[in-house]
Amino acid sequence: MAGMVNDLLNIANSEAGKLIVGLVGVLAFVVVNALMLTWAERKIAGHMQRRIGPKEVGPYGLIQPIADAIKLLGKEILTPAKVDRPLYYLAPTLIFVPVLVSFIVIPFDASLQVTDINVGILVILAFSSITILSILMAGWGSENKYSLIGAIRSVAQNVAYEIPLLLALLPVIMLANSLSLKEIVEKQQSLWFVIVQPLAFIIYFIAGVAETNRTPFDLPEAESELVAGYHTEYSGMRFALFFLAEYTNIFIVCAIATIFFLGGYQGPVLPGIVWFLLKSYLLVFVIIWLRWTYPRVRFDQLLNFAWKGLIPLAFLNLIITGGLLKI
Amino acid sequence: MSGIIEEIKACVPGAGPVEVSYPEKGYHYALEASADTLPGLVGFFDEKRFYLECLLCTDYADYLELVYLFNTHLSPCRVKVTLKIDPQHPVAPSLSAIYASAYWYEREIHEFYGVLFTGHPNMAYLFLHDGIDHYPLRKANVPVSPEDQKRLDSFKPGEAEDTFCINLGPQHPSTHGVLRVVLKMDGEYIEQAEPVLGYLHRMHEKMAENRSYQQFLPNTGRMDYLGAMSFNLGYVLAVEKLCAIPVPDRAKFVRIITTELNRISSHLLWVGAYLADLGALTPFLFVFDDREQILDVLEGVSGSRLTYCYFRFGGLYNDVDDRFIAGTKAFVQRMWRRFTLYEKLVTGNVIFINRTKGIGTITKEQARKYGVAGPVLRSAGIACDLRKEEPYSAYNEVEFDVPIGEHGDVLDTYRVRIAEMENSLRIIEQALAKLPGGPFMAEKVPKKLKPPRGDVYQVVETPRGELGIYIVSDESDGPSRMKWRVPSFSNLMIFPELAKGVLLADAVAILGSLDLVIPEIDR
Repeated sequence: MAGMVNDLLNIANSEAGKLIVGLVGVLAFVVVNALMLTWAERKIAGHMQRRIGPKEVGPYGLIQPIADAIKLLGKEILTPAKVDRPLYYLAPTLIFVPVLVSFIVIPFDASLQVTDINVGILVILAFSSITILSILMAGWGSENKYSLIGAIRSVAQNVAYEIPLLLALLPVIMLANSLSLKEIVEKQQSLWFVIVQPLAFIIYFIAGVAETNRTPFDLPEAESELVAGYHTEYSGMRFALFFLAEYTNIFIVCAIATIFFLGGYQGPVLPGIVWFLLKSYLLVFVIIWLRWTYPRVRFDQLLNFAWKGLIPLAFLNLIITGGLLKI
Repeated sequence: MSGIIEEIKACVPGAGPVEVSYPEKGYHYALEASADTLPGLVGFFDEKRFYLECLLCTDYADYLELVYLFNTHLSPCRVKVTLKIDPQHPVAPSLSAIYASAYWYEREIHEFYGVLFTGHPNMAYLFLHDGIDHYPLRKANVPVSPEDQKRLDSFKPGEAEDTFCINLGPQHPSTHGVLRVVLKMDGEYIEQAEPVLGYLHRMHEKMAENRSYQQFLPNTGRMDYLGAMSFNLGYVLAVEKLCAIPVPDRAKFVRIITTELNRISSHLLWVGAYLADLGALTPFLFVFDDREQILDVLEGVSGSRLTYCYFRFGGLYNDVDDRFIAGTKAFVQRMWRRFTLYEKLVTGNVIFINRTKGIGTITKEQARKYGVAGPVLRSAGIACDLRKEEPYSAYNEVEFDVPIGEHGDVLDTYRVRIAEMENSLRIIEQALAKLPGGPFMAEKVPKKLKPPRGDVYQVVETPRGELGIYIVSDESDGPSRMKWRVPSFSNLMIFPELAKGVLLADAVAILGSLDLVIPEIDR
């Protein structure tokens, strides 16, 4: 018996074991985070609109997302007759890959990280491009014109906004002299990078909102034009997977902002993880706030804003930072 | 426009216009044309910058009569031109080359009466896509001719190599009802937009012919469910004009108070729904909060919250009480403060301005050719408000401004509507202060109305613009013909022109700015 426990502990302590435990933890976090965010979004939206929001299921309607999840699980999964089956089936699953991979390298606390890769941010950025692929697959595979337009918009938008996103992160990488997320956080012990790089922070945040397809940049799923955009033809749990991925992406964008600009888990008195989650969810709140305040921009305005506004600004910021570092 | 009789006589040989009594008929001049003189007349009206207000047909058993109503936007001068046609071979020249607004009116007449308009580019059916075996508005049972049977389902959107078609509707978040617009797209740009009507067609005009005047009252609110008071008012005014029923002063003032309240509630709903079209969902809930106050007040006197039927021939269904007056005063006070909130939340928003500025610009000339009405017309810079031009009820006893736009774009229609709500509040305040006592119902209104033979035309300004009601009486207790000239119908007509070459997102913004109520278009 004791031998078995020891064996289990050994496995858990090994690299592979850590990864498995970490992945299970990440999966649990992803689900809880998404459920919580849907509740928070509805509650915040409700209060901004002079309503109460969900209140019937559980105290303050806290159980509402679980009831919704059960409803979605119980729904029939419809497959329209004309869809391109391999693409249609694969898309909702594939959209989850970057989500999970991103969480592996995010440091929740000084010691709470699944694995610290020395090119952590590159892993996140590289894998997040898969999201676009799966949106395109969903849009193309659905054989629906609304879905297709939504998917094409999404690709153009993500390609455009990934550039300023990356360019805004580069000055921080230059300052920290590292690509490892943990080291970047450690470098901010005395001074948060948002103070030296306020412009980069703003550019990153705007690009991040666009990357997550949220209002005012929610063109891929603009409901008054495209019904629901790329996920028009998805129902039940398949739709729920897109939904989960969207909310998790919001968290990831905010978590990276916290790590790069707001000192990650650094903070007095409270444990690191609390600081990390506090800062991240504060940014999530801002994103939700934006959605319930602004109308949607138009497609050409969106692209102009990225190519003519954010990208030149980000480049300028990068050059100035580089120059100052050399001096 | 005095001296128009001489001008017409000089320009068009053989035409004999006569002046008629405006308070009795609702139009200033009547004129009978023949197929030969009609083109000359229409050219004359076009040159004098008249617009084609309405085009309708009436079946007098031994002949069909086409009625063209021409009017000018400022200083009203309504001329009724009639053209008699043979019911056996109903053919008339088409005006659609000169007046774009004739395009749909002629199609409508064609499917309901079987009149063929020569020179019309597309005589396809507008409403009755499922087909029908006889012409519904003809008095005799006239079967649909085989040539017309072929035109029933002539609407087939074609896709070319580089384009594709998408359906905006009939079930779509941006069409607010069951309007269907087929868009021929080149990428995200619209090459051609074609509205398809008839999903909510109930043939109110035919229903009217089979009912007595009183029985038709509840139908009015079912056409424009957002401006039911205005439709109700227009109908009772038309019948009162036809039967010469006097209306006590108190009823006149209550009529304008309730109609203006209804106008505000309609405009508020538009603001909310329009911003939701642009992706901002929060204002929708805010305006519903305000709107709810109006509905409560109106429910107290009329008994309904949406499809009001509050007016009666000669007065009102019941008198207003102190609760109504207190509630209205409280609402007016509250609403003045709310405008600053909307100003902060919406009007100054840079994304909102970028989405609406310079989009869907309507020129004055376009507005005239398409017979555009209401806030859309005024946003184009034409200060035509029928409450001012042809005052009815007690509108000549209150002061208000007619706000106009500068550029005719979508942003202007928003500004005009906001300013109109402010003016409506002013009207309500004045009317409440002046509200006289006395009876709310005229004495001795007969139960069974038997108006003299003849026709009347009555216009009212609904929240969406000019509503015209044309009633022909044959001395029976119900109308022999009733035509509703509805504002959304003519406003939608201009949409294909505005949507040409714009982005899909802009098309949604333009469609929303027209403030369409579909049951009103389809009737």
